[in-house]
Amino acid sequence: MDKNRRNFLKGAAAAGGAATFVAGYYGPLEKMGKGLVNGTSGKPTSDRLHGNSLAPEYTIDPATGEVTLNPDQRMAFTVCYGCTTKCGVRVRIDKNEDKVLRVAGNPYHPLSSDEHLDEQTPVLDAFRRMSSFKDQGQLNRSTACARGNAAMAQLTSDQRVMTCLKRTGPRGSNQWQSISFEQLLDEIVEGGDLFGEGEVEGLRAIRDLKTPLDPENPEYGPKANQLLMMEATDYGRSALLKRFAFNAFGTRNYGHHGAYCGLAFRMGSGALMNDLAKNAHVKPDYTHARFALFIGTAPSQAGNPFKRQGRLLARARTTGELEYVVVDPALTAATSHSAGERNRWVPILPGTDTAFAMALIRWLLTNEGYAKDYLSLPGHQAAQKAGELGYSNATHLVIDEDHHPRAGHFLRMSDLGLVAEGAEDHPVVVSADGELVSSEAVDGARLFVERKVETTAGEVMVRSSLFKLRQESMRLTIEEYAEICGVDAGTMRRLAKRFASFGRAAVADTHGGMMSGAGFYASYSINMLNLLAGNFNMKGGSAKGGGSFNGVGKGPRYDLADFPGKVGPKGVFLSRSRFPYEKTSEYRRRVEAGESPYPAKAPWRAIAPPILTEHLLSGLDGYPYRIKAMIGVMANPMYGQAGLTSLLEEKLKDPANIGLFVAVDGFINETNRFADYIVPDSVMYEVWGFTGAWSGTLTKMTTACWPVVEPRQAKTAAGEPVCMDNFFIELARKLDLPGFGEGAIEGKDGRMHPLMRAEDFYLRAAANIAMTGQPLPDATEEDIVAAGVEPLMGRIKGTLAPDEVGPVAHLYSRGGRFESMEKAYAGDKLGNAWTRPLCVYNEQVGTTIDSYSGKRLTGTPMHHEPRFWDGSTLREHYPASDWPLLAFSFKSNLMNSYAIGLERLRMIKPYNPVLLHYRDAERYGVDHGDTIRIESPGGSVLALALVGDNVHEGAIGIEHGYGHRELGAASHVIDGEERPGNPYLGAGVNINDLGFSDPTRKDGTATWLENVSGASVRQGLPVRIQVVEGLTT
Amino acid sequence: MDTIRRALLGQIAKLTAGAALVPLSSVASAGMNDQPPRREGDPEKRYGMLIDLRACIGCQACTVSCHIENEAPLGSFRTIVSQYEVAHEDTGDVATFMLPRLCNHCDNPPCVPVCPVQATFQREDGIVVVNNEACVGCAYCVQACPYDARFINEQTQTADKCTFCAHRLDVGLLPACVESCVGGARIIGDLRDPNSQISRMIDEHRQELMVLKPEMGTAPHVFYLGMDERFVSRPDARPAIWDVRDQKGEEVGYEFGSH
Repeated sequence: MDKNRRNFLKGAAAAGGAATFVAGYYGPLEKMGKGLVNGTSGKPTSDRLHGNSLAPEYTIDPATGEVTLNPDQRMAFTVCYGCTTKCGVRVRIDKNEDKVLRVAGNPYHPLSSDEHLDEQTPVLDAFRRMSSFKDQGQLNRSTACARGNAAMAQLTSDQRVMTCLKRTGPRGSNQWQSISFEQLLDEIVEGGDLFGEGEVEGLRAIRDLKTPLDPENPEYGPKANQLLMMEATDYGRSALLKRFAFNAFGTRNYGHHGAYCGLAFRMGSGALMNDLAKNAHVKPDYTHARFALFIGTAPSQAGNPFKRQGRLLARARTTGELEYVVVDPALTAATSHSAGERNRWVPILPGTDTAFAMALIRWLLTNEGYAKDYLSLPGHQAAQKAGELGYSNATHLVIDEDHHPRAGHFLRMSDLGLVAEGAEDHPVVVSADGELVSSEAVDGARLFVERKVETTAGEVMVRSSLFKLRQESMRLTIEEYAEICGVDAGTMRRLAKRFASFGRAAVADTHGGMMSGAGFYASYSINMLNLLAGNFNMKGGSAKGGGSFNGVGKGPRYDLADFPGKVGPKGVFLSRSRFPYEKTSEYRRRVEAGESPYPAKAPWRAIAPPILTEHLLSGLDGYPYRIKAMIGVMANPMYGQAGLTSLLEEKLKDPANIGLFVAVDGFINETNRFADYIVPDSVMYEVWGFTGAWSGTLTKMTTACWPVVEPRQAKTAAGEPVCMDNFFIELARKLDLPGFGEGAIEGKDGRMHPLMRAEDFYLRAAANIAMTGQPLPDATEEDIVAAGVEPLMGRIKGTLAPDEVGPVAHLYSRGGRFESMEKAYAGDKLGNAWTRPLCVYNEQVGTTIDSYSGKRLTGTPMHHEPRFWDGSTLREHYPASDWPLLAFSFKSNLMNSYAIGLERLRMIKPYNPVLLHYRDAERYGVDHGDTIRIESPGGSVLALALVGDNVHEGAIGIEHGYGHRELGAASHVIDGEERPGNPYLGAGVNINDLGFSDPTRKDGTATWLENVSGASVRQGLPVRIQVVEGLTT
Repeated sequence: MDTIRRALLGQIAKLTAGAALVPLSSVASAGMNDQPPRREGDPEKRYGMLIDLRACIGCQACTVSCHIENEAPLGSFRTIVSQYEVAHEDTGDVATFMLPRLCNHCDNPPCVPVCPVQATFQREDGIVVVNNEACVGCAYCVQACPYDARFINEQTQTADKCTFCAHRLDVGLLPACVESCVGGARIIGDLRDPNSQISRMIDEHRQELMVLKPEMGTAPHVFYLGMDERFVSRPDARPAIWDVRDQKGEEVGYEFGSH
């Protein structure tokens, strides 16, 4: 046996309750003798041998493979809400009880299947191919993960909100009464003295599109902006929510969980991909990549898309050719001992990933370890000639002196006075023979340029993008980078060399680990490794993916984007983002008063998207302006944003700060417990919607969701389920808003159609998707029966035109629309390419002014320590002598932020002991299993220490998803009856309870946010620990 | 922590391919040692499972889907994946080791002869089952199993265990755990069919396959690929901590069942 396989078992059963498996016979022994001579005292099983196992959903003839459906069950394809991957699933339903029995993967779906079936495959054929007939179902599987399996418990949970609730005590007192949907609508629209606490302004009064909310600062927009909309994420229904918010009500303010999820990653990626509007990102083409660096992400442990990455990674290391390294503070499931030399874990200190990436960049740039030919391509024409799908701005020249009016911009032909009237103003590059030429005029250009150039505004120093990157990377030596990130310099050199040796089949991948005080540039620098490798759009490289079919735009059948009376929202976002401070009235006033406009009162982040991390406190504190009402849909920032609860809770409790808080949710969480009203929402399998694909899914796809079981919660007077969609439809109608009610949707034939119920919207979106391009064929009767679409047919026929019925039934019978596998590749390239010029230097970043210092941001990746708003570093405020350890969170492979209510996950992993390195344990006198207090500048938590070699020394790892106070953990009184909480749902710790406020924010009420993006900082929180005596086992 | 929670996983030993597979050809339905004759099931088949640990991502999809499919009581498992932290002796590199566990459907199952009422028996296709109508819940079989693969179901008060989802295999469907295996690690099939995926993989990897506790002479029919033989001899693992604590640090115990 290979000596590399000589290992010893080091630590513990870190997951998967070995104990409980072993413990199986412990309790029952006591019951011996209670049974009868024949048979037992227990409940008889439904089958002699198979016990209470479920009846099979269909059977297969072993000779022919013929499928016979079980008449008591139906299968249906829809989406899973078990996490934000949003996999397509096949749901098995007991017809008689309308009860979900179990779920598995949708075989047509790329996020669930090894190789997804062509959508032309008849449904019964697909079922056969999921069976054991000729081993087909295991040669090509379509799966649901543990959480996806367990999540069906949401449907029947006794913690579900089933009726419309109105608070009866003060905010947050957990006392409620049930009211009718109609009363709820009436109260929130008209306002009044709703709680005996004084007048509350209703939504009708707030919806004012004419009156400026602040005449002193007209750019803030109209009063309607004082409604803040919050959403967890797009589970396929955001289009309807946004139609209400932006285009009917007319508020500017909408935020989702992104800013406390992975925004720093997304923006760093957006900077590289030249897409700061949508922050596109890539994932490796796992199947063909030869070498991968996973930094701050752990595919197969967690991440998006979870199953797809996990499956492809498992296959690539088992039967494929992939070798990979996971660079992460914690040991995760992504590093497999069984897969031997194919993979390795390199521990790193939390929040120091930039140092690691910049060290690699430095090595690559100083050892010719980059894709020279590719990077030398200066423009579109050169790329085409070279047979490339895209190019970068590596050779473009940046005007690099502040005195120049176009400082930070690329030198363009017009700067040289050389652009002809009407011609495109291309960037300037230096040709092989040293001439300044248009980027479209040559096939190759010099990569490293630093020289003076005479421009129309005088002489100025210009540097090529790649020169600037090299300059940044060389500010520190590899040894200095090693000192910062805790990864040995030799290891980094070897990894850089290995990475370079695989050429364009080497990839780097990152994700939520970037939520540090340096996250934007960390992500930008890691993504830069892909650009230096030249792997974008390459088979085995970085893949943006195929994207999705859009049903909610100006579709081929129905216009779901525009409608008569549509409002365009106006004004400054509450989060002060996507709007430069320099354009505000405030800035102008300060300049006019002769004072320095910097620092601004609070951050204005010109290139960040609207961010929920700032919305709430800004709206309650009144800068830039106050909000009067808030509607949250499944949103839970008080669990998700580090340090928010302690800053927000008291403010939110006071109705004087915000008059109205309406939540739409199936459950009471840490945030909506402070709501004035809760609208019961449908939960997964009861919802409509269309979800898209995560990046890296190589083929185009859209998942169709529909209520495959009847929603269980209250109904409206009209008999429709009270849920998110119907709430906004009825609310809009009551407010007489455009875009809802009669005549709200225009058909291609010019006829107007109503939007009175959820399906009026979603079925028309389905028609748009089904009829896009080459329309889908009609579903066969057999497909309709096999895929359980029968219950939907009445609504399809009643809503759509006759020629749309068959294709839409086909779409629902496959659970969506999916491009076939063969579109994934085109030769040695990916089938779906990202063709925008990639940014070694991002001009938009490099010309953005930091609202504290008034200085331009650095346009390339750069190293800086985790820092606060004023630029001072973490350690200047919280030195290592006081706060020696750095806490970080990592995603659980079972639990997520809202899964704690799922008992089948709790039974496997009931708790999250924190990871502590054995040398730190020794240092602080901690034994394995001790209770420790973890204290940060913002709070403290108690946890059990899992001591081992499973985390970088100096770091403390907290698995995310535990430490809840709600979602079933707390008791609530509803209609005078106590609904008791389950204390087991509150077990464990939540890293966000260790979050703290930015000590340099003058407004004093902001959590620590990364400067460029506004992303919540949770990786690398300074902490100290001590053993708590008396609680030690 | 009580002793049960400190208990180790089953010991593991390397099994040469020969030892693992010889019984296949010879045992069939004949009684082995004191085994009663096999009955019911398809005599033409011998089911087994191969678990390719290289492809296991430890996601527990098998655990949960099995639990739902077979309606196991909360806190009791027919299958589960244990996860270990393993360090490399020479380099110090640390990695994760996954070990999915279930009934081994042994060719010489120690659980069968100990049953006083012959409720537990082996089908001719090798699947070890329990007749719930006959089982008296005495738990002799639970104690006899060296793999801790059985438990007394607190609802039915009968012995409960993995059946390879015989109710699904019998009608041409895959066991829940195999169907749900995200990494594609679990492979079930008929060992008597030379063209089955499992037979082909056994042929290809014969020298690398291992079973749990071969020294017990049970001839397990769950084969592991990617098993580390150093893992084999009585791993001295400390258990992970399952003393569930609330946010005040107080022990609240395990929520499900009496363990």
